[in-house]
Amino acid sequence: MATHAPSSGQQIPHGSGGGHAHHTDYRSIRHWWIRAAWCSAAGVLVGLLLPFFLRWVFGLDPLWNEQVYVTTTSLFSVIGFLIGIGCFDWWGRWMVGKHVDYEDHSFHGASSWRDYFRVNTDHKVIGVQYLVIVFSFMVISGVLAELVRTELAQPGAQITSGEGYNTLFSGHAALMIFLVIIPSFAGLANYILPIMIGAKDMAFPKLNALSVWMLPPAGLMILMGIILGGYSSGWTAYTPLATQAGTGTTLFEIGVQFAGASSIMTAVNFLVTIITMRAPGMTVWRMPLLVWANATTSALVVFGTPFIAGSQFMTLFDRVMGTHFFDWNAGGDVVSYQHIFWFYSHPAVYIMMLPGFGIISEVLATFSRKPIFGYRAVAFSTVAIAVLGFGVWAHHMFVSGMAPWLRIPMMVTTVIIAIPTGVKVFSWVATLWRGKIHLQTPMLWALGFLFTFVIGGLSGVFLGTLPADIFSSDTYYIVAHIHYVLFGGSVFTVFAGVYYWYPKMTGRMYNEKLGKWHFWLTFFGFNLTFMPMHWLGLQGMPRRVADYDPRFANLNLIISLASILMVAGTAVFFYNAITSWRSGPKAPWNPWRGRTLEWLVSSPPSIFNFDATPQVVGGPYQYGIAGARHAIVFAPEEIGGGELTETTHPTILVVARDTVTGKSLLDATRELGTHGYWRFAFVSPADTDAERAALTRRHALAVAVLGQAGIPASGKVVSGDIVQEVARAAQDEHAHEIMIATYPLGESQWLRQDLVDRIRKATGLPVSHVTVSHKESRATLDEPGLAHVMVVAQDAVGTDALLDEVRRRADRSPARFTVVLPADVPSPAWGDEANAVRRDAVDRVHRAIEELQRSGVAAQGEVADGDILAAARETVGAYRPDEILVVTSTAQDLAALRGIARGAIIDEVVLGAGAAN
Amino acid sequence: MTTHAHETKPATHGGSGMSRMNIGTLGMTIFIGSEIMLFASFFTAYFIARSNATRWPPIFEGTEAFELPKVITGVNTAILVFSSFTVWWAEKRLAAGDRQGLIRGLIVTIMLGATFLIIQINEYVHLGFTPQDQMFGTAFYCLTGLHGAHVFVGLTALTFSLNRARRGEFSHGSSGPLTAASIYWHFVDVVWVFLFVVVYLV
Repeated sequence: MATHAPSSGQQIPHGSGGGHAHHTDYRSIRHWWIRAAWCSAAGVLVGLLLPFFLRWVFGLDPLWNEQVYVTTTSLFSVIGFLIGIGCFDWWGRWMVGKHVDYEDHSFHGASSWRDYFRVNTDHKVIGVQYLVIVFSFMVISGVLAELVRTELAQPGAQITSGEGYNTLFSGHAALMIFLVIIPSFAGLANYILPIMIGAKDMAFPKLNALSVWMLPPAGLMILMGIILGGYSSGWTAYTPLATQAGTGTTLFEIGVQFAGASSIMTAVNFLVTIITMRAPGMTVWRMPLLVWANATTSALVVFGTPFIAGSQFMTLFDRVMGTHFFDWNAGGDVVSYQHIFWFYSHPAVYIMMLPGFGIISEVLATFSRKPIFGYRAVAFSTVAIAVLGFGVWAHHMFVSGMAPWLRIPMMVTTVIIAIPTGVKVFSWVATLWRGKIHLQTPMLWALGFLFTFVIGGLSGVFLGTLPADIFSSDTYYIVAHIHYVLFGGSVFTVFAGVYYWYPKMTGRMYNEKLGKWHFWLTFFGFNLTFMPMHWLGLQGMPRRVADYDPRFANLNLIISLASILMVAGTAVFFYNAITSWRSGPKAPWNPWRGRTLEWLVSSPPSIFNFDATPQVVGGPYQYGIAGARHAIVFAPEEIGGGELTETTHPTILVVARDTVTGKSLLDATRELGTHGYWRFAFVSPADTDAERAALTRRHALAVAVLGQAGIPASGKVVSGDIVQEVARAAQDEHAHEIMIATYPLGESQWLRQDLVDRIRKATGLPVSHVTVSHKESRATLDEPGLAHVMVVAQDAVGTDALLDEVRRRADRSPARFTVVLPADVPSPAWGDEANAVRRDAVDRVHRAIEELQRSGVAAQGEVADGDILAAARETVGAYRPDEILVVTSTAQDLAALRGIARGAIIDEVVLGAGAAN
Repeated sequence: MTTHAHETKPATHGGSGMSRMNIGTLGMTIFIGSEIMLFASFFTAYFIARSNATRWPPIFEGTEAFELPKVITGVNTAILVFSSFTVWWAEKRLAAGDRQGLIRGLIVTIMLGATFLIIQINEYVHLGFTPQDQMFGTAFYCLTGLHGAHVFVGLTALTFSLNRARRGEFSHGSSGPLTAASIYWHFVDVVWVFLFVVVYLV
């Protein structure tokens, strides 16, 4: 590793980080899991003995009450598991008064896959843990969904009926909501958010670990509720159904409590992190929109989630202790459950949506290469949605028999909340407008999201209006709507985020082709599945019923078949994610040329993300604004600190031949370099001296163009075996990444030789590939920073002497050339003879230009009618050159020329007699 | 140029504005927001049931009338409120550099809190109705029980803080866990005052 590397993260993903003494906990994962197993077993035992003892002491009859024992065993076994796996070790030592090290990092970071399977305080490891848990439950929950569709494929009973069917859809919904969508955002934000705000970790790393470890037991509880049966009350668990349903419902309620506790702890963690740990200069108006979204969501979770906890506690008490919260006969109120539940669960809709909005804002800005339109409006609308979100809950209850006066206010607030949402959608569309749209996989998901979410959002407004809602309540219209917002909305954004940050998280690139397959399969499968549900619902097909009228049979069969497309898409996703992680090409630091801080660190980031606290100097989305920067990342103390842009630049080795001056390559390097971070070293192989000279000239041009943009660069021409030479140069230059520029596939000799892969293998560095067309590599560089030299020559055009003269000028300082040949056409100017003269002149200019380009000189040509003065007058007006080079065989009237030169420097070369033959 | 230099200099504005606040204190404050909402959910059920009832406490044929001991609980309320002042005093002592004062203050607070819990449990035993007796019993036991659980958690936190304080931990300006525990304790008191007024008095 290069000594000036900003971090050692490139080679050892989570190995060592500068500046921190770091030792890792030595105990194996077996130790922790064995401990977790016996602690869980002990928890079960306590859960059995404790109520037994208490009931015996207080003389409660009967001693055995299934609901009580299910509650206590599940509760204590989860607590036992959390203690056993080690979530409470540090706090335990603190509580009993043992010595604790506040700077204890022994559970921080991962050096092998094993470290992902134990308690870890590194927010990056936790983020990955979240996502792995989430996608595991997504598979389970997806299987349940397919079982639901199998049952509904035809009228009548297929695989189950009644109770069993109710359990299937309840389990599908509960797992998808509590174990997939909500924690998936927590996982993505866990990984990205601290890096985005320039922090080294979350505010409470140990609490963060506890949050993630609560999820698997929470999910297992719900899963056991499904397997044991009796959890058939839907994810909403309405009373009195929930108070009467079987044991599975008790397990669901315990599971939800743990999932909710996990959410609340994460939310507190995010809020404190965002409030206190932003890097210097990261004012609230410089925060990326993902940070805004997560701050707002966290506030929603903190104030909303206790209400579902409360509702589930009360249902549990009604079930287990015989209380009367929802028992009308004993003075309770059955509808109050729905009020309390929806007071959380409507904000929960935004908990499941706002972080996705944040992801979409990141992805759309990056892949349209434009600043997000209306940054502040988007940020404010996020907050507005959150505030209004607490005032719309009863629109889920229009037909529940609640107080009628609540209906109109709730309808009004529901329609109003569409306004901030609309602000967002229009901002995104305006961001796309006239942007340079790159259709990579994350962008496809983002665009797919826009399409499906607008449909889902509009059907939501439709449902928010009282008459429409009463008509379509409890029909498949609702099922269509919820899937358009939660799948077409939330899950699409999760996939956009996962693809977008996959290179950052894994250090590997995913397979773009498979990513696109995933998207299109899912997109078509999704719309074919859920679009017809609108029609079914409006025709009166009820939801939550295992059977239906035969007249709905055809559409239901289509839906069931279409849902298989989504299964196929998801399978492609898992294949892609797993194989790419194992053997995908190494990811560069910033594959999408993003501007936010996470792209200014290595992929994956080093153990504490930043070696020195970065300094934020501007907004996060200033794409396409020359010289604009979001942040400066500093070098570690050991190499003197200081800004990386001024002291040590990580280097990108650019391997190119004639493509060095191609506009695509220059744009790509300039875009990367505008972050003020990279240095570029051009390496070009040459065989002959002429080639060598030509490439040296091209290097000079590229270095000058980049230099004008303030980006350091250098060039080197090598000879010999290209792969070996590149590997040597990579070592000499301490290169971090390699960029290869070639002609398009089919025209490029290098691609035919599989050079990209060979260089990747030889160097072990991440390699990116830029395509430059033939036309581009020959185009004149109309770039600031290059002098424009007009070469006026008459009979000298086409002679070696002239070419040498131009080359000499090119070697003196980087410039581009326009060769002007005055064609003294005979009268009449439209005659055949005049045309012949012109044709001859054009041919000569062509040959000269070609010759010049071959020798690496950026040149274009022009034939102008008239004598040398007339031609000069015309072309100077058109080109406004910086210099004029007059090459003639006889001395000209320079004074006349000066009169028309408009300030350009005039240089005259008189060639010796005989040169112009 | 001046503004530019100002912007790029490693300034302390932006994120560090709030960072003088201890992260533990801030985290606890946010968490208390969450706790308030948990109580709010139970109070919502309580208020809905109460607004449905024609009389509160309700009277049913053949059952004893619900009666709550206002005087004893009033005294108990005073005990709990007083404990808020003692924990505040303990923190003042720490700020003055008086560790013994801190320890004494914490011990008194914990004893007052424990007294509150014992009196409350004694009340449960002698009330004559159970959580299964109508919504009134349900709401009474669940609200006071939920609060009692919070008192217990608060006492636990204070006990651990006392334990650490005895070992010489905490000093003025570096007392995160202690401050968090005391904020939590104040919250528990405030909730009780509200609960006492709503459930017992009104």
